[in-house]
Amino acid sequence: MLGKKDSKKDDESGGSNPFKNLEKASVLQETRTFNETPINAKKCCLILTKILYMINQGEHLAPTEATQAFFAMTKLFQCKDVMLRRMLYLCIKEMANIANDVIIVTSSLTKDMTGKEDIYRGPAIRALCRITDNTMLQSIERYMKQAIVDKSRSVSSAALVSSLHLMKQGPEVVKRWVNEVSEAVNSDNVMVQYHALGLLYQIKKNDKLAITKLVSKFSKSSLRSPYAYCFLIRVAAHQLEEEKDGFDKTLFDFIESCLRHKSDMVIYEAASAIVSLKCTTSKELVSAVGVLQLLCSSPKPSLRYAAVKTLNKISITHPAAVTACNIDLENLITDQNRSIATLAITTLLKTGNESGVDRLMKQIASFMSEISDEFKIVVVDAIQSLCLKFPRKHNVMMSFLASMLREDGGFEYKKAIVNTIIAIIEENPEAKESGLSHLCEFIEDCDFLPLATRVLHLLGREGPRTTTPAKYIRYIYNRVILESAEVRAAAVSALAKFGASSDDLLPSILVLLNRSKLDEDDEVRDRATFFYDILSQNDKALSSAYILNTLNVSPVSLERALLQYNQSVTEKPFDIKVVPTIEVTESHKPSAETSLPKTVKPTDKPAASRQDLYSEQLSAIPEFAHLGPLFKSSAPVDLTEPETEYSVKCVKHTFTNYIVFQFDCLNTLNDQLLEKVVVKMDTADGYEIISYKTCPKLPYNTPGVAYTLVKIPEDPSQVVATFGCNLKFVVKDCDPNTGEPDNEEGYQDEYGLENVEVTVSDHVQKVLKPNFGASWEEVGAENELEDTYALSMPSLEEAIKNIIQFMGLQPCERTERPPEGKNTHVLLMAGIYRGGHDVLVRAKLAYNDGGVAMQLTIRSSDSIVPQVIAQAVG
Amino acid sequence: MGLLEKIESLLGGRKKDFNILVIGLDNSGKSTILNNLKTKDTKVATINPTVGFNQEKINFQSVNFNFFDMSGQSRYRSLWEHYYKESNAIIFVIDSSDRMRFVVSNEELADVVNHAEIKNKDIPLLILANKKDVKGAASENEIKNELEINRIKGRNCKVYSTNGLSGEGINEALEWLASEMKNLA
Ligand SMILES: Nc1nc2c(ncn2[C@@H]2O[C@H](COP(=O)(O)OP(=O)(O)OP(=O)(O)O)[C@@H](O)[C@H]2O)c(=O)[nH]1
Ligand SMILES: [Mg+2]
Repeated sequence: MLGKKDSKKDDESGGSNPFKNLEKASVLQETRTFNETPINAKKCCLILTKILYMINQGEHLAPTEATQAFFAMTKLFQCKDVMLRRMLYLCIKEMANIANDVIIVTSSLTKDMTGKEDIYRGPAIRALCRITDNTMLQSIERYMKQAIVDKSRSVSSAALVSSLHLMKQGPEVVKRWVNEVSEAVNSDNVMVQYHALGLLYQIKKNDKLAITKLVSKFSKSSLRSPYAYCFLIRVAAHQLEEEKDGFDKTLFDFIESCLRHKSDMVIYEAASAIVSLKCTTSKELVSAVGVLQLLCSSPKPSLRYAAVKTLNKISITHPAAVTACNIDLENLITDQNRSIATLAITTLLKTGNESGVDRLMKQIASFMSEISDEFKIVVVDAIQSLCLKFPRKHNVMMSFLASMLREDGGFEYKKAIVNTIIAIIEENPEAKESGLSHLCEFIEDCDFLPLATRVLHLLGREGPRTTTPAKYIRYIYNRVILESAEVRAAAVSALAKFGASSDDLLPSILVLLNRSKLDEDDEVRDRATFFYDILSQNDKALSSAYILNTLNVSPVSLERALLQYNQSVTEKPFDIKVVPTIEVTESHKPSAETSLPKTVKPTDKPAASRQDLYSEQLSAIPEFAHLGPLFKSSAPVDLTEPETEYSVKCVKHTFTNYIVFQFDCLNTLNDQLLEKVVVKMDTADGYEIISYKTCPKLPYNTPGVAYTLVKIPEDPSQVVATFGCNLKFVVKDCDPNTGEPDNEEGYQDEYGLENVEVTVSDHVQKVLKPNFGASWEEVGAENELEDTYALSMPSLEEAIKNIIQFMGLQPCERTERPPEGKNTHVLLMAGIYRGGHDVLVRAKLAYNDGGVAMQLTIRSSDSIVPQVIAQAVG
Repeated sequence: MGLLEKIESLLGGRKKDFNILVIGLDNSGKSTILNNLKTKDTKVATINPTVGFNQEKINFQSVNFNFFDMSGQSRYRSLWEHYYKESNAIIFVIDSSDRMRFVVSNEELADVVNHAEIKNKDIPLLILANKKDVKGAASENEIKNELEINRIKGRNCKVYSTNGLSGEGINEALEWLASEMKNLA
């Protein structure tokens, strides 16, 4: 089977590509041809093409190799052949970051860019700007200024766009060209005008007032270029979104007026901006939607596509406005262009009522086979949001998804379907059994390992809790016999979960695992042996800790901790408790927006979490190196009002015995330089201030960090505290333009900040226990604390939200969402207390007469911890 | 390729181009001298310090010269050597009024002639003592001493005084170079 596939692939790609078997060494050898005189332009062009091809195939060129080839290339400047010269420009750009000393071609390029041949000038500018670094920028400044206002549009555009790229490395120099750029905005050429406006915006971007002026100036002077208009609309819309309080009527009026522009492009851009703006009122929405509605019946497919895509996007936020276009959308269902049809149908699905669902789904089914995977994913997303809206329709949806799952499709598409089925299962218990059986069927013939392992994991978690767990075991065991090692390993883990959950199934699971103990793959064999031994003990606590609820550490931190352990000389066994637990991230919520084909694919690699990054930063500071592993980092808290002179945010980093307060400071005064910045803290709550780490310099608009280290009180029950905070620093007045202080002597000053609170939640880390019941039994009642409280909360939802926030624990088993219309609920939460003790909380809630009664039971592996947690409520 | 060139190449003997490496300290007048050699319509009005190098093709008395006009600024001098291998001759330009930097010129020239790629290669060296018009400029003999020309053995080497702006002395010097090239071919 595999062999067959391979040979097919060979047939497809073989033969036709002349560069298929390029060898780096021989291509580099060929670059010697460049040194020959006279130059054979045709031959050299081919060699350059090979180099370009190689680089774009990801071939790695070492700096010396690249440099050698590059200098050989420089000899080609003597040849007047147009094709060769332009190939040369391309190669220079590609090699700009690989070879050394690429500035060698600076003069040659400036000669071309100022020469008589217009066909060389634009490309030469682009190449020049690629090889120019910050230190060289000044030497080409004069040429760039001239080129920006050149009368040839290709030269001017090339200079403008290249300057835009240069902004990234040398904004200061480019800013000096503002007069030339402003002149270029008045160009008669539509592209030049557009590019110039784009650059002008980048130059002024950080100055809000200047941007507002820019928009109002050009909105009056009527630009020629529709592209420039579109850009201006985007700037205006961005400006409106940025404004926190109040909104600029003139900006909005400008966008509104563009709805009546003569170019379709501008009209669409304006409508799309208006419907996406948060500040748009329903009245203003009507005219914009009206425009989109008109575009829906345009003869141009691109306009129909744009319009329906936009309507689709806002169908969740503004359903009423979109429903007004229903008739037009209905007409698009049968559009020749299937992308348009797909968007139209999914929009109707999202805004329509329950009765229409069946009809629309039928319609989609009729052309599912004709659309590309990307648009199939749009359909899948629509189905997911539909299921949330009409839970009762899950049968129709589920069978639709199942049939999609059976058909051919790429990984992303299949992944979307599997994710959607899983989401539906999690939302709607009634859909669980049918969803699981569709997934079982799917993995019977599934080419995508990650999906197969994901489904097996899900089966292991959910299967044992269904009415007939036994029926899943066959599907899982089939994987053990038929699949590759990764899948077999996942299947073995899933089987173990069934064994741990059910005494009835245990004997047969043990038999199955025993067979896998002879597997040829190490990982599979290890897992089988491990699980077999644990299950044979028949100890519930053991099964819970090692099979049903597993490690909650971040892989990145674990790797680092193990590395450190290996490097140190010690007799002690490795302590898993030193590894920070992983932060529970918010579960993925289906977004209102239909995700259209994305260009950037999310990576599936374990990324370093926010806390991993903090941990790395802190351990690099000598003063904090001895604090041990970082236990938890809080979200940043503002200690200043918005838009004040200084902005300070605090992040609390909890260690086993210490807390490090990290103060991210920003100085917003351009005529001040702050030095020796420190946040002085004081408290009456038993915490001891150990040391301060100052931020030596805080220039205008450059973030700086100061730290304060405190020791947590010995008394384990003393955890909450309030700290008064004061920002202290030395001020030096300085020149706003250069940032240079006027004189060396500064003066001491201070600035009051909001208090910092340390709460119970700073001492616990959220941990998701997939099987809460098992953990509850595992920890046991030894240190149990139980109490009853009356909370004055207006609803169950409100009470749940507050309890979670105060305790800082992770809700488990989806108990954070009480079923609608019920007055009682049980909330289950889990976490780890500072020092590595498990904490489990069960809160039985009952709502009556405007209040919520709570019976709180707390279990922990430590005797003090339950009292501390209870403090959070008291 | 123009028609004439095409015929030439068809006849099998298109005239060879000679690669001439033009080096010397910054501000010595390399680009100015080459500019002086160009025809009216290819001449440029102002000359800026060269960054990297510039390529100039000039036909002088029916010899095709292909000049590599290098930048003389100290940070770019290390790039000269990339062009040693394919060079058929070297022109070294020195500003004869810049007495302060005669030693620097001396060292750079020594580095060039002792370089592995040049040392055993029999290519002529033309030294131009430029800016002879400037008051107090060193004479040809003085330059010969300063550069210790007598140390250079086993290669044809000649010193000419020039004025890059007026062109004085340049023709003579190039005539010598052209004859050297003809001998070589
Ligand atoms: N008086 C005088 N000035 C000259 C002469 N030759 C060149 N100059 C001037 O010397 C300056 C430098 O000339 P360039 O040709 O740029 O010198 P270069 O050797 O190419 O310098 P780099 O490219 O930086 O290595 C210019 O201002 C010329 O006008 C000369 O013979 N007499
Ligand atoms: Mg020069």
